[in-house]
This record gives sequence, C-alpha cells and structure tokens, in this order.
Amino acid sequence: MQLITRHNRTWAAVLLVLTALVCVLLAQQFLSMRVEEPIYPGPGVTEQRMLSDWFPGIKDTAADTPVYVLQGEQPGNSMLVLGGTHPNEPAGQLSAVLLIENAQLSVGTLYVIPRTNNSAFTTTDPQEGAPMRFTIDTPNGERWFRFGSRATNPVHQWPDPEIYVHASSGQRLSGSETRNINRSYPGRPDGTLTEKASYAIAEMIRKENIDITIDLHEASPEYPTINAVVAHEDAMELASWALLNMQMEGMDIMLEPSPKNLHGLTHRELGDFTDTYAVLMETANASQGRLRGRTNEALVVEGKDKFYVRAAQYGRLYVPFDENGHPLNERVARHVTGILQFAQAYNDLGLGAIAIDNMPTFTQINENGVGAYLNAPGE
Amino acid sequence: MEIELIILLTMLGVFLAGNFLLKLPVSLSMVLGAVAGALVAGEGFPLRHFFEGTFVYVDTVLIIASAMVFMTVIEASGALNALNAAIVHRFHRMPALMLVLLMLMVMFPGMVTGSSTAAVLSSGALVAPVFLMLGIPKAKVGAILALGAIMGMAAPPVNIPAMLIAGGVDMPYIGFEGPLLLLTIPSAIVTVLALGYRYARKMDHQKVLASLDTTIGKQYGVKIYLPLILLVVLLVLTRAFPSVVPNLGMPLIFLICSVVAMFTGRKFNALTTVRDAIHTTIPVLGKLMGVGMFIQVMTLTGVRGYIVINCLSLGPVLLYLAICLAMPAFGAVSSYGAASVLGVPFLLALLATGNQIVIAAALSFICSLGDLMPPTALAGNYAARIVELKYSRVLVHCIAPFVLMVLFGLALLLWPNTFAFLV
Repeated sequence: MQLITRHNRTWAAVLLVLTALVCVLLAQQFLSMRVEEPIYPGPGVTEQRMLSDWFPGIKDTAADTPVYVLQGEQPGNSMLVLGGTHPNEPAGQLSAVLLIENAQLSVGTLYVIPRTNNSAFTTTDPQEGAPMRFTIDTPNGERWFRFGSRATNPVHQWPDPEIYVHASSGQRLSGSETRNINRSYPGRPDGTLTEKASYAIAEMIRKENIDITIDLHEASPEYPTINAVVAHEDAMELASWALLNMQMEGMDIMLEPSPKNLHGLTHRELGDFTDTYAVLMETANASQGRLRGRTNEALVVEGKDKFYVRAAQYGRLYVPFDENGHPLNERVARHVTGILQFAQAYNDLGLGAIAIDNMPTFTQINENGVGAYLNAPGE
Repeated sequence: MEIELIILLTMLGVFLAGNFLLKLPVSLSMVLGAVAGALVAGEGFPLRHFFEGTFVYVDTVLIIASAMVFMTVIEASGALNALNAAIVHRFHRMPALMLVLLMLMVMFPGMVTGSSTAAVLSSGALVAPVFLMLGIPKAKVGAILALGAIMGMAAPPVNIPAMLIAGGVDMPYIGFEGPLLLLTIPSAIVTVLALGYRYARKMDHQKVLASLDTTIGKQYGVKIYLPLILLVVLLVLTRAFPSVVPNLGMPLIFLICSVVAMFTGRKFNALTTVRDAIHTTIPVLGKLMGVGMFIQVMTLTGVRGYIVINCLSLGPVLLYLAICLAMPAFGAVSSYGAASVLGVPFLLALLATGNQIVIAAALSFICSLGDLMPPTALAGNYAARIVELKYSRVLVHCIAPFVLMVLFGLALLLWPNTFAFLV
C-alpha cells in the first residue's frame, strides 16, 4: 500500500513538472502573438495617432490601435479605411498596410487603421487550426504578418453571455458575437471592450467629419455576399459609380444594399449614426471557409484548395474557384482598387475632392505581387 | 484513397484501440487519436494546436462543474426531496398532466440558457426522482431527461445552434419561435407520454404517497425552495432584461444558488459535497477536452473539410440523408460545432428550396439531437449519471424518439413553405 502511494506520488510529481514545462512553452507561443508586425510608413504618412485620441476610454487597453493619417497637399474631403476588422481575413489588413506604405495624397485626407480590432490580432480561434503568422516575399526579404481571430481575445473580454444583445437595436445573436467588432457598432462608451473600440471609431468619424468609410473584409467562398460591395442606402449612388469603374478595370464584383434589419455592422450603423458614406468590401478567402482542406500558411497566401475546387464543380459556391484559387495578391488588388475607385467616384459625382496617388493598379499588384509594394525597414 | 481519409481512419482507429483494447478513458483515447492524426498528416507534434483545441469548451466546463455543484448541494440540503413530495402530492391523480408538466420543467432551463447540460443538471436532476416514483424504469427516465433537456435547448427563446446557423449567413435571429415551438413542444409531449404514461397510469397512489418524505418540506417550509426560486429568477431576469440586470453567467448563478442552499435546509459538509460533485464530473470534462483536441487536429489536417465536402457532394436525396445523419453524428464532437461547421453549408445548399427561417430552424433542431451522440453526449451522459446507469442503457430508449424527431425535422426541410405561416 505504501509502495503504491509512493508510486502514485512520484507519477503525480512527474506529471506536474511536465505540465509546468508545457505551460511555459505554450505561454511563450501565445504571448508571441502580442508582438506587432512591423509597418514601415511611406512618405505620404503625415501623422501617426492612436484611436484613443478620439475616445480616451480605450487608452492603455488592448483595443487601442494606431491610426495613420495621410494629409494631402491641398485641403479636401476625407476617407477612412478599416483593415483588420477580422484578423482572420488578412487581405483587409494587408491592403491597409499597402496604403500606409505607398499612398500619397494630393487632395484631402486619408485615415488608415490597419488593426481595427487590435485585440483580435493577439489570438487565434480554437478549433480552426489556423497558423499564427504568414509571410510575404518582398525584394528585401520576408515580411511577416499575424493571422488572428475573428473576435476580440477572450483574455481581454470574457466571459461571453449566452446571448449577445446588440445595444441600440436589441437584436439577439449567439453569445460569441459579443466579441465581434463588426456586430458592435455604433458602440457604447460604457460597454464592453469591443463596444468601446467601435464607439471610438464612430467618434473619430464624427469628430473628423470623415466623408467615406470603407471596411475591408473577406468571406468564405460558400458565403453568398462575396466579391461584393455592401453599401448603406445613403452610399448607394457612390458605390454604384465606383463599382462600374471597378468592373471596367476587369474586376468581377457586385453591389448589395445593407440590410436594414441586420444590426451592428459598419455598413448599417456607421451610415445610420454618423454622416459618413459607409461601405464594406468582401473578397474570397478559402482559409476561413468551412469546406477548406489542410489549414496552413500556404492556404492563407496562395488561396488554393482542392475541396473548394470540388465544391465549385458541385455548384456549391458563390464565386468561381479553380486550381489557381484566390491568392492574397488578387484579394489585396481587389481591395486596393476598390478604395481608389471610391475616391475617384466621389470626385466624379461632384461630392467633393480626394486624390490618392502613388498606388499600384489592379494589374500591377496581380502581376508583381503584394510584396513588391511593401517597404523594407528604414525605407 | 485520399490522405484526409487515411488521417481520419487513423484517428478513429487509435481512439477505438485506446478506448476498447487498452481500456483507457475516452478523454485520453481522443488525445491519442489526435496525436496520431497529426503525426500521420506530417504535422509532427503540434503542441499549440492540441492545447488550443481544448479551449473551445472552457465556458462549458465551468457551466457543467458549477451545475454539478448546485445539483449535489440541493440534494444534500433536502430541497430535492421536498420538491418531489410536493409535486407528487399535488398531481398524482392526473398522471398525463403531471408527466407533461414535469417535461416542461426539464425543458425550461434549456429554453432560457440554450444549454441541454444546464437543463439536465438542474431541473432534470430535480424531477428525476418523481419520474422514478411513478414507476418508470431508470433507463426510460434517463431517456426522458436527455430528450427533454435537448428539446429545451432547441426550443425558443434561446436556440444557440439556430443562432449560429443564422449568424453564418447573416440572417437575423428573428421569426424562429413558431417553427421551433412546433418542432419541440409536440416532440417533448409525445416522448414523455410514450416512454412514461403506461407506468404512471398504473401507479399505486397509496404506496407512492406513503413513500413520500414530507417531513423536510414541513420542517423548513418555503425557505427550502429558495435556491430553486432564486435560480429561476436569476435565469429569467438576466435574459428578460439584459440591459437592466447584468449578465452574471450561468456558472456564477449556479454557485450563488448553491451558497444559498447551504443556509436554507438540512446542514451538510459543504467541502465534502463540492469535492464529490467535482470528482463525479471530471471524466466528462476530460472528454470535452479530448474532443476539442480531436476536432482541432481534424481542422488542421483537412479532415473536417473532407467530411463537409463529401456531405455537400451528394445529390438532393442523399443530401437530405446526410443532414439527418451527419449533423447529429457530428454532435459526438459538439452540437454547436455541428451547427457552425455543417449547419451553415447545409443551409446555403438549401436556400433556394423555400422559407429560410423554417429551414434554419429545422437544421438547428436536428443539430441539437447531436447532444445524444456518444462519446460526448452531454445531455445523455448526465441523464444516465442522474439515474445511475451506463449511458448505453439509456441510449437504447432514445433511439425511437430520436428517429421520429429527425423525421419531423426532415418534414420541415422538405416542405419549408408549407410551414412558413409559422414565421
């Protein structure tokens, strides 16, 4: 009996030591997600601020995030680009980074937030098997970016209620959506961390009188709203004009009205609660889909997946999908082109003036790759 | 043979070998299956993925552990005995009505929380002795509790699988009440009457009344029911007035009510009681962790996608068959997971066939039945534990109602527009 007890205690001690070792190893991995990927602002960036400048309630929290301001040589109108609303939709963040590192404004002001849900970049979604990072080849070596979660890190906002009730509409969603920033607009100053972040963005739009807000997203290929622009009713004319220009550049894209009974999203609430023209753009990202095969960095960057090819053959998708997939280059090219065309349409319709220069075209990004337009340290 | 199929067979083979040949617990067998899958897929030993997969169930683990404490505490305080005696005394002359009311009691926590586990561990545990007193065999009582809890989980106002499916296609969770009530309430009534009425009808009233322990109820009066009343009040208030009453969360609600129970009835040793409760529930919590790890490796290696694409590759007839089989089967991992992983693509595949809300409601109903599916079988395992039987003996009596419920759900999927008036 004594022997058995001693034996068990030895095993228990060994297991405890092993557990402690595993905890240390894993903690290092998970904490490494808090290291931000470097962004090297180009000459067009005139100022770097923090979102808490517009709402101090998020200062020194995981929700606070850099805002890059590109002030034009001449005064004009303004545009806000939201990248990284969902950090598992990497084309949004990468397109924002491309703007920060390349764009120069001759007229107007461009505000770019590359990590809209900053907290969500510090974690990955359980059971999604996603990589923590992916890399892009550039002429000056590799650049790395985090592949985060769709929602705020539970370490920063927890626990979830069983039901998430959207504050201003009373709409009910499953509890996990309480950490989805694109279900929390227009936000609340005294709400959850996620609601405070979206409130800060709404405040920024109101205080800076931002004229156009573009929220960059990606969707799984089986999702109906894909390769699309979703626009608030006030922004429909602008979006229609921009869409025509995008189609003339060779992009296959459609326009959808923002549903009036679906609340918490940028294209609905920012349009309702601010004076901005609110639109959202979607591209096809296989790495977030339910039909995808092996989940790894290659899937994120190359966008090729044999199961999606098969699904397209069965007619189960809302976007064409062949062996070439939908690489990140193509997805970023679509977003960047969309942003430029919205600025152009704004000018063409006589609504105001904003001119974004020095950006690669749809064809250039597709042919040369995103990496060709990413800066090296010190550039 | 595709690599994903090889990985899947390896994972299942190692899991079964561990569980049945080596007699390891289900949790450890699933861990071994996950490790084997990762190795065969060439992923090495992805420690982070093993760990991360388990985290999807952290909230569920807290709910189960706290609900188990609550259940054990109210039993020790005598509240359970008092309540059972009161119910039987009041309704013993109307067995059918009593059965239906008891079934609605089982469903209630599931209706407000969306969790079958919460239902089975709270009201399920409360009314189980009443069913047993009526002469219903233990295995059938277990089946009634499990199915009642699942019907509660699927019934409005809170049906989380429906919310997940609707959210997956950006459909507001509006208009689901009618179809979900149609699916759940008749199913629950038929189940409890089919499994229990012939026993309740033959109940020996005098014998049952004589066996009731009414002393506790008389000794403590209404005070002994305070933890139960508080549980109902907190569950309802936090959900009915979310902008006024702060969300306490189910674990805290169960623990608050457990603390109250320590002062409202018989005295008991709180430390021993809580330790026993946690000790009892650890194997199921381990199972959840193992399942989490298993599904993370399935996703990482492409096995999850392999299963989904094979379901979607089927023609119309086989697609409906896949819905009826694959979604409840995926419940072996998680019914919420089934809703998200399979429910959304199935809804997209059926969008053009009729009313989308009816289709989503029917899919969520079929998904919820996955809580019967071993090895996880959250509702089933805990129902079996309450009646102190192995789950396999309870599961046998769940099969016929399960088939009927799936067919009921299928009817709504086949003729969604016929039921569109309910929306």
